Amino acid sequence: MSEVKDIEILIIGGGPAGLSAAAAAADLGASVLVLERDGKLGGQLVKQTHKFFGSKKQYAGDRGFQIGDLLIGTCENNSKVEVWSDTTALGIYEDGVVTAERDGKHLKIKPKKIILATGASEKMIAFPNNDMPGIFGAGAVQTLMNVHGIVPGKRVLMIGAGNIGLIVSYQLMQAGVEVAAIIEAAPAIGGYLVHASKIRRAGVPILTSHTIQEAYGKDSVEGAIICQLDDKWQAIPGTEQDLKVDVICLAVGLSPLTELCFQADCQMKYVPELSGHVPLRNDYLETTRPGLYVAGDVSGVEEASSAMVEGRLAGISAAFSLGYGKDLAPKLQAEALAELSELRSGPAGQKTLQGIRKLMDKGEALC
Amino acid sequence: MLNKTGIPTAEDVKTVTPSQERLNKGPVAIIECFQKIPCNPCTEACKQGAILPMQDINDLPKMNFDNCNGCGVCLSRCPGLAIFIVDASYSATEAIVRIPYEYVPVPEAGSEVVGVDRAGKELGTFKVEKVQSGGPKNKTYTVWLIVPKEMAMDVRSIRLGGVRHAN
Amino acid sequence: MQTKETIVCRCEDITLDEIQSLIKQGYRTIDEIKRVVRAGMGPCQGRTCRMLIAQELAKAYGVPVSEVLMPTFRPTVKPVKLGTFAGGESDAENC
Repeated sequence: MSEVKDIEILIIGGGPAGLSAAAAAADLGASVLVLERDGKLGGQLVKQTHKFFGSKKQYAGDRGFQIGDLLIGTCENNSKVEVWSDTTALGIYEDGVVTAERDGKHLKIKPKKIILATGASEKMIAFPNNDMPGIFGAGAVQTLMNVHGIVPGKRVLMIGAGNIGLIVSYQLMQAGVEVAAIIEAAPAIGGYLVHASKIRRAGVPILTSHTIQEAYGKDSVEGAIICQLDDKWQAIPGTEQDLKVDVICLAVGLSPLTELCFQADCQMKYVPELSGHVPLRNDYLETTRPGLYVAGDVSGVEEASSAMVEGRLAGISAAFSLGYGKDLAPKLQAEALAELSELRSGPAGQKTLQGIRKLMDKGEALC
Repeated sequence: MLNKTGIPTAEDVKTVTPSQERLNKGPVAIIECFQKIPCNPCTEACKQGAILPMQDINDLPKMNFDNCNGCGVCLSRCPGLAIFIVDASYSATEAIVRIPYEYVPVPEAGSEVVGVDRAGKELGTFKVEKVQSGGPKNKTYTVWLIVPKEMAMDVRSIRLGGVRHAN
Repeated sequence: MQTKETIVCRCEDITLDEIQSLIKQGYRTIDEIKRVVRAGMGPCQGRTCRMLIAQELAKAYGVPVSEVLMPTFRPTVKPVKLGTFAGGESDAENC
């Protein structure tokens, strides 16, 4: 029989939320195991070469990969934290056993508490020839460039002017790749305007109320037809433009990676403001399945800064529920909650707040 | 419209521009941050008491221009690369504009580059007075450009690749 | 490329036309469509196509996406070789 690994807190996902959760729980004395699908911890942070926003508490001003290194350091230097990298969680069962796979081995873990910090996956859109070689997700482009040092092509059409579309455009230009345009179906830029201005002054047009009609090319992308949309999101005839590009990069949003929440029978709800199906949870991020917490994009797509604070909050709460930090934990929880509401209090955070309100308001329309 | 094009309008810029009198006095930070986002490193960077502490982290930065000595620490710290230093006292006809820069190649002091405005439009060829490294951690370069005085509030970056690709 | 295809499920190469035609034939859920054409049964297990199919169902039946029934989620999250399970029972005999 294969062994079952016993652990106090199992954290699934070693990105900003998972690592923050691990450090916070371990600091209070809990034994933690982190599962990370990738060979290296850090999640998306390892690909982020730009400086982060927020305040000192969320390492603002540091670049994403630097924050990643910092978080990895806090976990690696903590004897209470064990990390299994190259390990993918496969399932959560009714008896509380979590299974995972590493090197073709089937692993079983019996945690007392689980924190899901699985992040999000990229959305795709449907348009003719949308699977032609040369069409990438923005995350894939970042991985190619910033992890493997390979540029995706020579001239890029970026689809989506949210923070990811803007940032990846910037990184493409830093890598010497031309960005022909950024198009955005919505009537306004969704990402931070300072990012947009930075790209615009580098000469890249940002076209709001524009969409892609089709990609074309013989064996791979040779161009794209884009057009303008009216206020009902319908294509305006005669506004078509032909852009010669060899790469089309999709940055059309993220979906919370909630398969494990569904499996664990958490009560779920579709909330567009949080970018998809997310689990109901209390203020301390515990879902309707007792002992199962969520943190970061899996609980609703947001910024890395809030993912780190959510991770910390979930880590503290899980450890507290096991009896750790009797005096300290409530104070730390209050601090984290205050930080979250501070981060979300401005106009940029209204969408998230509205989403959370919608999520927790009424119990109907559950899936 | 800034939120449709990414280009700050003249009205936007006006709200963060010091008086001509202050501009002529010497270097001063121009914080072109027009959207309330949760971000405050500039307030922590400023040791001159020029960038005022924020009540709420989502507040727009507020400047006391008289306290600003143009040291440029905020410029290299701003995650949005939205801070510029303008020194209209450089000479009778010229001003220095300091811009944050994170592309390669980094221009060299003494070389000529093509300056662009907030829309990426070319404004002319200008001399690089100095280039400051942000250091191994910060990594953002500060490029000092000598520009005609009347363009001091317009030049906001340089054309990528430097002068070699200029038309 | 001869025909312009709009792909919904990349793993199993299912087009938008195929999905729409299934919906016209009366298929009403993501799970039904999955069982008929394997959309969502490839390496990504529906991460790409699930919500695209949900949108098509929502459009066709005139309901908000929030009301489209999600498929059943079962372990495993990603495809795993049978050998992994077989090997997992015996530490000595992993191959």
